[in-house]
Amino acid sequence: MNDVGVPVLRVRGLCKQYGKGEGLVRAVDEVDLDVASGETVAVMGPSGCGKSTLLHLLGGLDRASGGELWLAGQRIDQLGERALARLRRDRVGFIFQAFHLMDELTAAENVELPALLAGRSARWSRRRAAELLERVGLAERAAHLPSALSGGQRQRVAVARALVGDPQLVLADEPTGNLDSQATVEVLRLFEDLHSSGQTLVIVTHDSRIAATADRLITMRDGAFVDETRLTGGSAGNLGALAGLAEPYEQEI
Amino acid sequence: MARIRLVGRLVGRDLRYRPGPAVLLVLAITAATATLTLGLVLRGVTNQPYLQTRAATKGPDVVAQLGGQGRGVSGSGTAVWTRAEAQVKTLTSAPGVSAYSGPYPVASAMLRTRGLTAGVEVEGRARAQASLDQPKVTAGTWVRPGGVVLERTFAEALGVSVGDRVTLSGRAFRVAGIAVTAAGLPYPNLCYYPGGGCVFDLSAPVTASGIGFAWATEQDARSLASARAPLQAFLNLKLKNPATAPAFASRYGSGPSSPGLIPWQSIQTGSGLLVQDEQAVLTPAAWLIGLLAIACVTVLAGGRMAERIRRVGLLKAVGGSPEMVAVVLLAENLMLAVFAAVIGLAIGWLTAPLVANPGAALVGTAGAPALTLSTAGLVLAVALAVALVATLVPAIRGARTSTVSALADATSQPRRGPWLIALSARLPVPLLLGLRLVARRPRRALLSVASVAVTATGIVAVLAFHTSTRLNIAGVPRGLADPAFERDEQTLMAVTVVLFGLAALNAICAAWATVLDTGRASALARALGASPRQVTAGIAAAQVLPAVPGVLLGIPLGIGLFDVAAQGAGVVVPPVSWLAGASLGALVALAALAALPARAGAARPVSPVLSADSG
Amino acid sequence: MGLTAIYLTVREVQFVQQEVVLAMLAKEPSHGYELRARLRQALGPLGDAMNDGQVYVTLARLEKAGLAASEQSAGRPDRPDRKVYALTAAGQQRVAGWLAEVSWPRPDLTEFHLKLIAAAAAGLADPLAIVDTQRRELLRRLRDAQRAALAEPDGSPAGLLLEGIVLRLQADLRWLEACERNWTSHRKDHR
Repeated sequence: MNDVGVPVLRVRGLCKQYGKGEGLVRAVDEVDLDVASGETVAVMGPSGCGKSTLLHLLGGLDRASGGELWLAGQRIDQLGERALARLRRDRVGFIFQAFHLMDELTAAENVELPALLAGRSARWSRRRAAELLERVGLAERAAHLPSALSGGQRQRVAVARALVGDPQLVLADEPTGNLDSQATVEVLRLFEDLHSSGQTLVIVTHDSRIAATADRLITMRDGAFVDETRLTGGSAGNLGALAGLAEPYEQEI
Repeated sequence: MARIRLVGRLVGRDLRYRPGPAVLLVLAITAATATLTLGLVLRGVTNQPYLQTRAATKGPDVVAQLGGQGRGVSGSGTAVWTRAEAQVKTLTSAPGVSAYSGPYPVASAMLRTRGLTAGVEVEGRARAQASLDQPKVTAGTWVRPGGVVLERTFAEALGVSVGDRVTLSGRAFRVAGIAVTAAGLPYPNLCYYPGGGCVFDLSAPVTASGIGFAWATEQDARSLASARAPLQAFLNLKLKNPATAPAFASRYGSGPSSPGLIPWQSIQTGSGLLVQDEQAVLTPAAWLIGLLAIACVTVLAGGRMAERIRRVGLLKAVGGSPEMVAVVLLAENLMLAVFAAVIGLAIGWLTAPLVANPGAALVGTAGAPALTLSTAGLVLAVALAVALVATLVPAIRGARTSTVSALADATSQPRRGPWLIALSARLPVPLLLGLRLVARRPRRALLSVASVAVTATGIVAVLAFHTSTRLNIAGVPRGLADPAFERDEQTLMAVTVVLFGLAALNAICAAWATVLDTGRASALARALGASPRQVTAGIAAAQVLPAVPGVLLGIPLGIGLFDVAAQGAGVVVPPVSWLAGASLGALVALAALAALPARAGAARPVSPVLSADSG
Repeated sequence: MGLTAIYLTVREVQFVQQEVVLAMLAKEPSHGYELRARLRQALGPLGDAMNDGQVYVTLARLEKAGLAASEQSAGRPDRPDRKVYALTAAGQQRVAGWLAEVSWPRPDLTEFHLKLIAAAAAGLADPLAIVDTQRRELLRRLRDAQRAALAEPDGSPAGLLLEGIVLRLQADLRWLEACERNWTSHRKDHR
């Protein structure tokens, strides 16, 4: 997919601000980030900390006020709208909190849409859509409208749609924000599956369950990164201790 | 009472925060009401100026052209009078005649000035004022040796003023003055019925509508006669009972050797022709414009309704519901319609004198045309009806929606057309987007087709008019202005401008509604990889696709409309090049009008639109 | 990994932990009643259930274990109120170790809550750092438990138990986020 050693995503000094003077708001404040190929990075933080804004900047859906943004070695923060559109088509997949499926299209028609927009033939697009729906486990729902799908199923369709162009980077903005716990589990499985297949993911979430699927967890506050944790590697306790079955007695005074 | 106050408050807030659609609505209805007012006010206006002219010039009740139907009395000098005398005696001694003036010699001459050539009938007059038919001089003085007085419309068409030199049949004269008369029809209708009758020798190189009237001294008039263009004679009669003029004319004027008698009522009718022509243009125009206004208001109402239903949650906070939303919209549109009707009435009333101007030929003015209560009432009723019809359908649909489904946004649920979706997948991206956008709102697409068809009908009718005038090009000699033609053209131009304006308004309204409706969809398309250019092209295509059948429909309708309105011009088919050019031009203009708001929207970053809509 | 089903010893739950009292002494030597008051303040309505005598018992135990030392202050020597307690070097060491510990207490959150307060009061450690460290540890545990839960077939009883563990950890993490917010603004106010 891309050269080993070149990070898929490289961010230097990215910032986004609104207003001016007294009313200046720094939504994203001098953010640096490197994401290697196949890595899953989760960004957590309280609401209003700017994590969604950051994700939109990474996906080219919004323009940064400053800083540099590199995707697979190519500088993308200065691109025009047209080039950005091509970027979103071929190299970046986006998953939204509100799913953003077209209500009048079936699951298959929704999934094939980016391929059609990229100029692929109708037949190729339909075949690819079927493939991806199979992968997310919704093959038998391909002809259903979104109104006939549950929340978790809709988000899985959205994930399939994000994968149509075989993107180098998938960005997910609060993917389980609108889902109940069971739907969350469905999407969780999918993300674990994506991770193990080597897909590079950046997820913004306040759900620690989703964050726990990541290799790296970054905490964001007031537009800046304040903490970074590697989640790979064992934990200090063991599962028995978690279950309350083993409480190593500390000391006897 | 509280509900009325609430409705009033909501209406006020709405108008304050979103004046755009209200302005568009007022414009559309104003255009319709102004045209309608003009059409209505014009009726019954025509008679006044002629009567004023008749009073000012002591117009005759019957004009007699002596010597037989259209045949001149050959010879010159006194021989003319011998032949005509018998006719004069008969006429002047007929029962019912109370006075007469003349007979006056009338010569036919070729007038040349500044490179223009026209035919002219020159009536010889005494310098003293006549008791019957004394033309009113509006510029310069009355006849004198070497000086001619031209009829005003004729003078304007030639572009001459007092003091200019003209040659009549080779002899030099000066323009001594300009006058109007009630004893004949003005240029270029001199020879046309009703009310006209020229004695010009038509073997000369002029056409029937290239002949004007002038006065000169008796001596000068006689000197203009020649063997080829012999002298005629005109006699003016006053009857004891002017109303019997037509009966008198038919009694004494029929028969091959009787004089040509023209009653004053015919002249009156003929002099109103200019304005009547305009009515023939304005009535169908008013219909077309009215239909377009309805279409425009419907699109506006539909767009606002859909937008409002989505915000019904906010209204609930102030005690509203979908029914309330519908009532508010209806109240607002009716109020705006009344406002627009008043403006339209004012515009129509103010411009009516311009349109009803009888032309240079008559001294009277139409005056301030009477804006009767019935006219005002009718216009108001039409405006309200337009607003009602256009708003009712979306309002009812919105009101029937239960609150639950309103919150679930069910009213704006786009339609699904599986075969259209499958078809569009095979097309290039802009057409893919455009076709899918059209398929989402089939009713609006139909409305688009209808309004484009109406516009096309109007434009094709105008083209047919121009085609027919080109076919009848034998009308006007080169260089001379034809006031009737000009007036028709002016009116037609004004109407066409209004039609275009309303069509453009319609296109803008439709584009606005489309952009509103597809804001989220186009942002999403861009998030999925469509470039801004593709999205803009898609929205433009969504406007143009329904326009194509509209244009095709408008062509036969327009030809039919002209046929009906022109009454007797026959079926005129404009040349294919004109039709093709106009059609392509309309489609391109439509695409451009749609592309402008679309482009503005497509250039903005995607995420604000998507985020605003989530949840 | 795997389940270790070895019981060691279940410690008797003491409402007032030794370490908490030790940490409170780290700030400055105090009387018993001062410590009691501080605890009351930190626990709010929960402190109403506190047994006042517990503090003194704990202090005595600490003294016996050599982690604290007492002095008679001026005044009436026979009344236990008048003793002033202070940390020994061993006690300081114990406190430092406790602050750095990441095992998650059961069944309630009081110990952690008091740990933060004590650390802030004594100036021994940044409460935010403690919260962050604990968060990291819980996240790792969440990841392990979640992986195990997903690996279980649908409907297995072990899977259900693991799901429960995951949900609890998630709830605890939410509380830690709240702690973080609270202590951040606390730090801002006290700058």
